[in-house]
Order: sequence, then structure tokens, then C-alpha cells
Amino acid sequence: MAITPLKTRNSGAAPLVPDIAEEGPIEQVRYACALGAMQTVASIPRAIAITHCGPGCADKQCGALAFNNAYQGGGWGGLGVAPSTNATQREVIFGGEDRLRELITHTLDLMEADLFVVLTGCIPDLIGDDVPAVVREFQARGAPVVHAGTGGFRGNNYFGHEVVTRAIIDQFAGPYDGPREAGLVNLWSPIPYQDPFWRGDLVELKRLLEGIGLRVNVLFGPGSAGVAEWRAIPRAQFNLVLSPWLGLATAQHLERQYGQPFLHIAVPPIGGRQTSEFLRQVAGFAGVPEAPAAAFIAAEERDYYGYIEAFSEFYSQYRWGLPARFAAVGDAATTLALSTFAVRQLGLMPACVVVTDNTPAEHRDAVRAAFRSLDHDVSIEPVFAEDSYAVHAAIRAADFGRKPPLIFGTTWERDLAKELRGFILEVGFPASYEVVLSRGYAGYRGALTLIERIYTTAISRSA
Amino acid sequence: MAINLRSPSAEIREQRLGTITAWDGPASRLATESAFSRGGCGPGCGGKGQRICELESPFTQGSTCSEQIAESQASNVRDAVLVQHSPIGCAAGHINSNAFFRNGLLRRGLAPRNVTGLSTNLLERDMVYGGAEKLRATIRAAAQRHQPKAVFVATSCATGIIGDDVESVVRDCEEELGLPVVAMYCEGFKSKHWSSGFDALQHGVLRHVVKPEPGPRRDNLVNIIVLWGSDVFTPMLAELGLEANNILTVASVEEIARASEAVASATFCYSVGGYLGAALEQQYGVQEIKAPQPYGFDGTDAWLRALGAATGREELAEAYIAREHARVRPQIERLRERLKGVRGYVAMGAAYAHGVIGVLRELGIEVPGSLVFHHDPVYDSHDARQDSLGHMIDTYGDVEHFSISNRQPYQFYNLLKRSDPDFIIIRHGGLAGLASRLGVPAIALGDASTAIGYQGMIDLGDEIVDALAQRKFHQDLAGHTSLPYKQWWLEQTDPYLLARQAAATQAAE
Repeated sequence: MAITPLKTRNSGAAPLVPDIAEEGPIEQVRYACALGAMQTVASIPRAIAITHCGPGCADKQCGALAFNNAYQGGGWGGLGVAPSTNATQREVIFGGEDRLRELITHTLDLMEADLFVVLTGCIPDLIGDDVPAVVREFQARGAPVVHAGTGGFRGNNYFGHEVVTRAIIDQFAGPYDGPREAGLVNLWSPIPYQDPFWRGDLVELKRLLEGIGLRVNVLFGPGSAGVAEWRAIPRAQFNLVLSPWLGLATAQHLERQYGQPFLHIAVPPIGGRQTSEFLRQVAGFAGVPEAPAAAFIAAEERDYYGYIEAFSEFYSQYRWGLPARFAAVGDAATTLALSTFAVRQLGLMPACVVVTDNTPAEHRDAVRAAFRSLDHDVSIEPVFAEDSYAVHAAIRAADFGRKPPLIFGTTWERDLAKELRGFILEVGFPASYEVVLSRGYAGYRGALTLIERIYTTAISRSA
Repeated sequence: MAINLRSPSAEIREQRLGTITAWDGPASRLATESAFSRGGCGPGCGGKGQRICELESPFTQGSTCSEQIAESQASNVRDAVLVQHSPIGCAAGHINSNAFFRNGLLRRGLAPRNVTGLSTNLLERDMVYGGAEKLRATIRAAAQRHQPKAVFVATSCATGIIGDDVESVVRDCEEELGLPVVAMYCEGFKSKHWSSGFDALQHGVLRHVVKPEPGPRRDNLVNIIVLWGSDVFTPMLAELGLEANNILTVASVEEIARASEAVASATFCYSVGGYLGAALEQQYGVQEIKAPQPYGFDGTDAWLRALGAATGREELAEAYIAREHARVRPQIERLRERLKGVRGYVAMGAAYAHGVIGVLRELGIEVPGSLVFHHDPVYDSHDARQDSLGHMIDTYGDVEHFSISNRQPYQFYNLLKRSDPDFIIIRHGGLAGLASRLGVPAIALGDASTAIGYQGMIDLGDEIVDALAQRKFHQDLAGHTSLPYKQWWLEQTDPYLLARQAAATQAAE
């Protein structure tokens, strides 16, 4: 049966709050600072961050990202293991290079790891410590140490994530002009820790890509082989960027550095339609044999739609009210992935989307364009705001109709969800009322988990 | 020495109290070495230059800062708003503070809600041109958006280094907005211990929130300087016909303001409440209770008697003490039977640890070792009756391995190996996970009130019984985990080896 295309229309409220200038105050933070990328390091198996900063910086960043954000666990060795210079008056006045040298020396002596990344905080970046020079002394002796400039005033942890990624590529993977391995792909997708579901999502994405015949440098998380994968980056056939903007700069850098092509897919796939489409696109780009890929997709769809069929009895018969319109608050990748799934798979309508990751100006139009075409008949104008006061004003101004709204958000939307008598799923930082171990929402399997979470929450009102 | 409230900022602890953060030895030796501060005699006695020698290690892991402490407390004042004058990363602490606030409200019988805090979000160009105007705009936004009763302003390493004139902005805003705007000078690099953050907040509160011209003395009102714990003091003080004014955390601005009208101040922990208590007495004649802290039979008896004496309620205090002893003793006996032969380890802030160790000993638990995150040789009263370490040793005996370290997981490994406990009691994040990997269950004492008073002994005993049952989880994990330290360190028996080696090298040079 053919679906009659409906006229494209704007389903949501027009942005009532203008984009908030990035230099304004930020109420109730939705990201950490660049030093928060110490958790990018922590997400690489057997890698350790060495932090050159004040005494509380490392604790604040990893505590916020890894503890009260879905209680994800701190990484190799756990929370609090990252060495830190804990800079004092002495370093501020006389400089911190000697202290950093001392700390790196003892770290190499004491700690068991395959890679160390020195990250700077505000103090050394303000007083002008020559951190690269100190680290180069150790590199010259063959120690696996790299440096990344992540002073908090330079940007947020999305920015820091790219800085750290780039530092490891340039200083650790290094130059390469050998042959490339057909079928090997570097995956650049969710931001570890900031996205509470990164582990589960990466495991599912790796499973799917292997399913269509690829081998994956997943780089972060339990499915990664650690530094061996980082060394193998230049050998990959191509880079896959699965996000509207994050990782794009890295892929462009790799293209310049190694002549590696990249495939950019803006919307991380959730659900049957999205995932099958995604896999066909990747298979086509990679040039893997068609028949086995198609067979894999068919088998996955058979499983997926078997569950959806069973769910349909609930979805069509539950008579005590389910949400119809939703708000999505979070980074560009998460809001786009969830909105696309909610619209295309569940037939929900977006009432409000707020993108809170301080998307770089040059990428905002592309993000807007993606939201304008959530489906052939559904579009919405996203609001870019990081200040929760503005975020909540936008949600309050949205039209959720007569049913309780569904909010994909963070702990900061908890009280608002009560105020609006709606349902909330914490899907981004901070998610203090989620405990996440292996759960993810990506792909076929993640979508089933997401459906379970949405509707377990929605029917709980009468529980 | 008097507290100088005319200065915009509190003097840091290491200068005021001789606070140290790295030391190892028997508790009795630490008490001796601290004696100079109370006018008693220690080694090399005498003079302001006196201090305890520290074991400074060249290897350190991330600690915590004063700003984190000030932030977590100020953001948890119920009708105030916090402004953090900093790049965005300092505000990441909100996530933690929010968890404390929501749970703190719940414990006090109030509806959980999110904290309200704004970051000035300083960027690179603010580092060049200064952030004072951003601070002004943010304080205004905080006031206009939320109509708070006070605005707290926390400084950061970055603003300390670029030299923003925070005091001028705060003074202007206070005048313009007609509400207390409280600067907390808590730059992380300025003090080596985070407890200076308590003082930064309390200093600001004393200068801007506490009524400078108090009304008539309220003879039944007692300030209790607390953290997020359950309110165990209201029922306890009611037995003496007194009202507990629980401040600062989870309090309202008005509750803090009336502190100068109270008849007395007391606290559950002199590390936390010593500064405010001493300053209220010095400035407004609010008597500070000078007694052991309210833990165990002996400490609680003495604390209640001192409170009774200060408020003219000696007989009520004695009657309450007698009733509670009769009620609690049989239950303690039962717990002692159950916990016979169990070894515990206490890791937390200094004065609080002294109290909790006492409670464990009341329960018959062996405490071969303890880790405190810092040590104040004296508190701001400079009164020997507040010597919580001395009281612990005199009442319950020595602690063989009494260690000071500002939250260093690599040392905590050897510390635990040395004391070989069946469980640990811990506050502050970042160490319990290590115990877990070693198969040792942890009681994360999120509710600071758990161990307080007579009932606290029973409650903590029950917590320990539950935690011991959870050994199964941790021992199972211990068989399937590894640690990020080299084998030579894991075999090392001296947790302070690196510091001793560094000291020896320095001496040789």
C-alpha cells in the first residue's frame, strides 16, 4: 500500500525564544568544560588522563560526568584515579612545569596503562606553562604520553573531546602512508560519558556494522581493543561520522592527514526503518558484498518487527492514555536521533526541540535542516540554548495538546515534567535518575529498549 | 586569635589553624604533635611558626577544592541562588550539589527540587578583558529570574588569576538589588584543603546574611551547624525545651540571618562548624558549645551537659541522658554481640572521623586504622574542650594507623591492605570503588546524621550489619577485577613511600 504523501507542515511551535548568545550566563549546566574530556580518555580501555589543573577540577569533571550522570563508573581503575598536579599558589606564582614533569615521571613509574593523555585546566593555560615541551621530553624517551590543551575557558567537553581525539591521532597514531585495509572502518559517534548510553550504543553499532561485513575500530568502550585500535586508525578504509557535527572535524582532519575518505550520516539510527536505511547506505559506501549485507538486514528486521508486532497490541489497545507529543532537549545528535525515531516509528509529534550542546555556528544550519525534514510530513524549528532558564521557557511555551507531554531531557527537566504533568525520560547529561550499565537506544535492539522505557514510564501514572 | 570579619575573605586554614593534609602514624602521636596549638607542649614547642611535618608526595591524584565545598553548600540554601564566577567547568559541580539538595530536602520532609545556580560562563576573551561585567549581568539575572532572598557568588581559579574585582561588583549589586550578595573567596589553588571552602562560605554569611544588629536574644534557640543529614537535632533539643536552628545547608536565608539571636551554637563536626561557631560567639556573644562532639555515650553525654549548662537546662539534660541510656544500652549490647570480632575502617573528614571511630568502638568493633582527609591541630575556638582527637584517644584508646591524605586512591590501596578491614565507612567520592574492587563493602555515609547521638550508635550498627551482608557482591567482584597500578606498588607496604623517598632526596641535596 502506497502512502499518500502529506503536505509538509510545521507541526511544532515556532521558536519563541531566540537562540541564546553563547557568552550569556548559563543556569543549570548541560555540559562540562574542555577538561571534561578526561572522560574521553577514561573511555579508552587502559588509558589514563593526567590532569594539570587545580585540586578540584578533575573531581568536578569526572564526578559530574561519570557519577551523578547515570552512575557509569569512572573508567580504567575507577573514579578518582586520574593523576593531578592539584596546582597550588606555588605553581600559579612560579609556574607548574616542574611539578608536571615530576607528576608524569611518577605516573609512568606507578600506573599501569597503555596510553597517558596530559590534559590542562585553566591554571596552566592562563599562566602559560609550556606543557607540550614537557610532554615532548617523555615522548622522546618513547613513553606513550600525549598532551591536549583543554583549559576550561577554551570550550566545553564536546570541544575537549575533539581536542583529545586529535591529540591521540597526531601524537600517538602518527604518520602513515602504508596500504589501507578494505572493510575496516573507524567509527566516530556518541560522546563518551556526556551521552549516558554511549557504551550500549557503541556495542550495538559495532554489532550492526560487523553484521554487514565490516570490521570496526570502535575506539571507545568495552567493545574496543584499546590503543591497538587507535594505532590502526590510519589503516582503515574510511571514517564513519554518525552525528550531525561532532566528529566531523576529526574526519576532515583524517582525510587531510591520511587521504582517508569519510561518510557523514547526521542522524544516529534508532529503530527498524532508520537502521536498515543506515546499514544500506554504509554498505553501499564501503562496497561490501550486497547479498550477505541484505540477508543480515532482513534477519534483523524479522526479529525487530516480531517484537514490534507484539507491542502493537499494547500500542493500539492501551486505553488509559499515552503521550502523543514530545519535547526533546539535549545535544544535536541525541535530539535528532530520538525525534526521528519518535516521529517515524511511533508516529509522535514534536512540540519542542532544544539543542543544548553549543553547536558550532557553522553547523547550525545543517542541524536546522535536519529537523525541518524529520519526515516527509513533519518538521520543527529547533531552539539552540544552553541556559536552562531559556530551555524551560521554550518547553513551557510549546503546545502539547490535551495529552500529557513526553519529555526526552535531563534531570533539570524533572521538576518541569511534574509541573506539566508529563512523562520524562532522562536521555542526556545530567541523568541523575538513571542507572545505566549496558543499555543503549541505538539500532534495532536499542529501539526496543527505548520503547520499553517510554511506555513503562507512561503507564506508571496509575501504578 | 580573633577572626577578622572586616576582611572580605577568610584566612585559609593552613595559615589560621596549621591544617595539614599528609601524615601517617598512631593517633596518639598526632595528638602530641598538635598539642602546641592548644598551649600544651609538643616537640619543638612554641611560636607561631610551629607546624606539624607533612609527608608531601610527588605523585598525587585529583583531590577536591574549596570552591566545590562552598558551591555545594551555598547552592543548597533553600531560597538563595548561587552564581559561580568561572568558566563553565566549575559549574559541573552542580550535578553533585543537585543530588545532595534533592535528597537533603527529602530528609527534612520537603519536596525535592533542583538547585538554582548560574555560571558566568567565562570564555577565552574574558580571560583577556576581564569578567566583572559578566558577573554583574549574571547577578542581576539571578535576582530578576528568581527573586531570591540572597545571592551567593563563588570565585574560581580563573578569576583569581585574572584578578577580577569581585568585591566591587558584589558591593554595587547588593546596593542596587537590595538583598544580600555574598562573595565567597574560594579559589581552588589558594588552599591545599577543601575545608577552607566551609570557612569561605561562613565568612561571607557572617558579613552579609547574619543580622548585624540582632533582636532580643532567643533563649530557646540553638544554632546547629549541620550538613545535609536528617534532622536528628530537633527531637533531641526538644527534650531540653530548645529549638534547633539547623544551618547552613538546606536552611532558609531567614534561618541563617537569625543565628546572631540564638543563645548558643553547636555542631556535629568541628571541621565543618568551627569557624561559624567561634565567630558568632566573638561577634554576637552567641555561646559556642565547647565539648566533645555528640557521638557515643561519653561524647553525647558531655555535649548535652554543655548545652544544658549554656542554656540553663541542666536538669532536663540529666533526665534525658538517663532515659536514653536506659533505652539504648540493651540494644547496643545486642549489636556488640552481633559485631564481635569485626574490623572497621573509617575514611572521612577529620573531626567527624573522630566521632565515628568512637561509635564503632562503642559497638565493640576493632578500628585498626583510619584515614582522615585533613587534620586541624586546633579549631577556631582554640579551646581544649573541643579537642575531638584527644577525646577520642582518652575515651576509646589509640588508633594504630591513623593516616592523613587528601583522597588519594593509590595510597588507599595500601592503607586498606595494612588494616585489613571487614568494611569501611566513608564520606566523599572516589575511594569506595577501590574498596569494592578489593572485596570490602563500603558504607557511604551520605546522611551525616546517621551516627549522631545515642540513636546514632544503633543506626550505624544496623547499617554495618547490612553492609557486611553485601560482602558477597564485593568479594565476587574482587575475583574479576584488576587495578591500574604497577605490581611493585601493589606489593608496597608503606602507603607513604614516595613522600619519604622525596624527603630523603631533598635532605641529601
